[in-house]
Amino acid sequence: MTTLSSIAPAVTVDGLTRRFGSFTAVDDVSFDVSGNHIYGLLGRNGAGKTTIMQLLTGQDFATSGSISIFGESPVENADVLRNVCFIKESQRYPEDFTVAHVFRSAPWFFGNWDAAFAERLIADFRLPMSRRIKKLSRGQLSAVGVVIGLASRAPLTFFDEPYLGLDAVARQVFYDRLLADFSENPRTVILSTHLIDEVANVLDHVIVIDDGRVIMDAEAEALRGAAGTVSGTRAAVDHFAEGRTVLHRDGLGGLASATLETLTAADRAAAAAAGLEVSSVSLQQLIVQKTASTTTRELEQSA
Amino acid sequence: MSAITHGATLGAHPVSAGHRVWRVVRLNLVNTRTVFVVPAIVMGSILLVNAAIWYIITATTSGTDRVDAMTGTQYSGGSFYIFVFMLVIGVQVVTATFPFALGLSATRRDFALGSGLTFVLLAAVYSIAFAALSLVERATGGWFLGGHLFTSLYFGANVGQRLLVVFFGLLFCFFVGAMGGTLFMRWRATGVMLGGAALAVVVLGALAAVSFSDSWGAVGRSLLAAGPLGIATWLLVPIAVCSIAGFTVLRRATPKS
Repeated sequence: MTTLSSIAPAVTVDGLTRRFGSFTAVDDVSFDVSGNHIYGLLGRNGAGKTTIMQLLTGQDFATSGSISIFGESPVENADVLRNVCFIKESQRYPEDFTVAHVFRSAPWFFGNWDAAFAERLIADFRLPMSRRIKKLSRGQLSAVGVVIGLASRAPLTFFDEPYLGLDAVARQVFYDRLLADFSENPRTVILSTHLIDEVANVLDHVIVIDDGRVIMDAEAEALRGAAGTVSGTRAAVDHFAEGRTVLHRDGLGGLASATLETLTAADRAAAAAAGLEVSSVSLQQLIVQKTASTTTRELEQSA
Repeated sequence: MSAITHGATLGAHPVSAGHRVWRVVRLNLVNTRTVFVVPAIVMGSILLVNAAIWYIITATTSGTDRVDAMTGTQYSGGSFYIFVFMLVIGVQVVTATFPFALGLSATRRDFALGSGLTFVLLAAVYSIAFAALSLVERATGGWFLGGHLFTSLYFGANVGQRLLVVFFGLLFCFFVGAMGGTLFMRWRATGVMLGGAALAVVVLGALAAVSFSDSWGAVGRSLLAAGPLGIATWLLVPIAVCSIAGFTVLRRATPKS
């Protein structure tokens, strides 16, 4: 009965556009997500991350473009959707539901649900089972979504801003459980967040959305350490940066620094020889400076 | 590096259409407190308050005054609460349970079918309970005080009529509530306002048609002739309209953040 493809890629998006009246939330977006990897869907608040995830899970309807999840359109497609779990950050729950009601009903909807794992996670996050959802703190609400996402073992699982309101211990719990469970039960994970440094080490691949467009789509490994900042006298920095892609420039009097998109080992040696100081750029810094072209450092500040 | 197959097996557990719809029914009923306990407690309290009033009347009046007063309780609207409550449940099924069902990867079609089935089951349970209570009321001579709550005239003359009138009435409330909730889910407040305006136009048109054709007398006579059950059966028309229109509107509805 099902013709779902278990051949990679898990997700293929082509020319996806979503307009709300005159506002274009998602603008001609195309990307692939290959199976059994952890993808980061990164970008500032309002960049279009949640809209993209709603479109991928059939919760919203595309204005134009195509989406294929395991080879089929997700819209009203029960065969696709039962392999997908997406508890969004702003998920609404039925009136007067307690945490217990949520965890009693969620297993009915996910074929791979692991009840023992869910119970362990509920204890790890110290979720109060008898408390009403509307009385939960922001962090506890995030934890409910995280536990459903992890315990669902859905072949395609989304985590939407999982860190929102979580304290340091809970963040570590999520990080540890996600990695441990991922290695035992590989699946495709799409993790959306604006807190990039928090997740940088878990991600296999990074897709950065800004203003509804994809501005970066690359292996996390390739991005880590690819960029670099050189600093020194203005003349030396300008001379070295000439002909290279400069993401960001700073200057104070005769001193200057420039963040360069790629800085190979040979480049680093050359810079050092030219009397420049070379420092590495974190994934977050790289993305901040990529997106800062539109406006400045909100991403950095909110992180 | 790139793996070919998905570790978590796709479609590991085949799910039949019936099962997919049934789990939506279970989701709608999982909070038994809201669906069963609260309405039962409130209905019990209404009965107690009414009984207290009947007792006061019985204790402080006599003769024809008492008979008049207790006969008057046949027009009691105390049990209308249950209809209002179910209207609110109908609204909430769409405004709150629908977004959660989508979060649990249900399709809109399965959600609509499951919720319609939930409404039929709830209306059946409550109309049977209502009819049973009306039998108790009759058997105890109005809870030993001569009062009426479940045997009010509006619900028909016998237990069979009451069963059907309450069943259709509750179903009407569920579907109208869900229709309102669906208009809100699809087009927010604008949808509810335009839906209300459309309803007002239809009602005004009907009133105008009756008035201009000078047929109020005929309408009154046919309503009397139809009786409570006849009128309640006509509710099947708005129920059908709401279920078809509601499903059509819900198919493109999206929960907003």
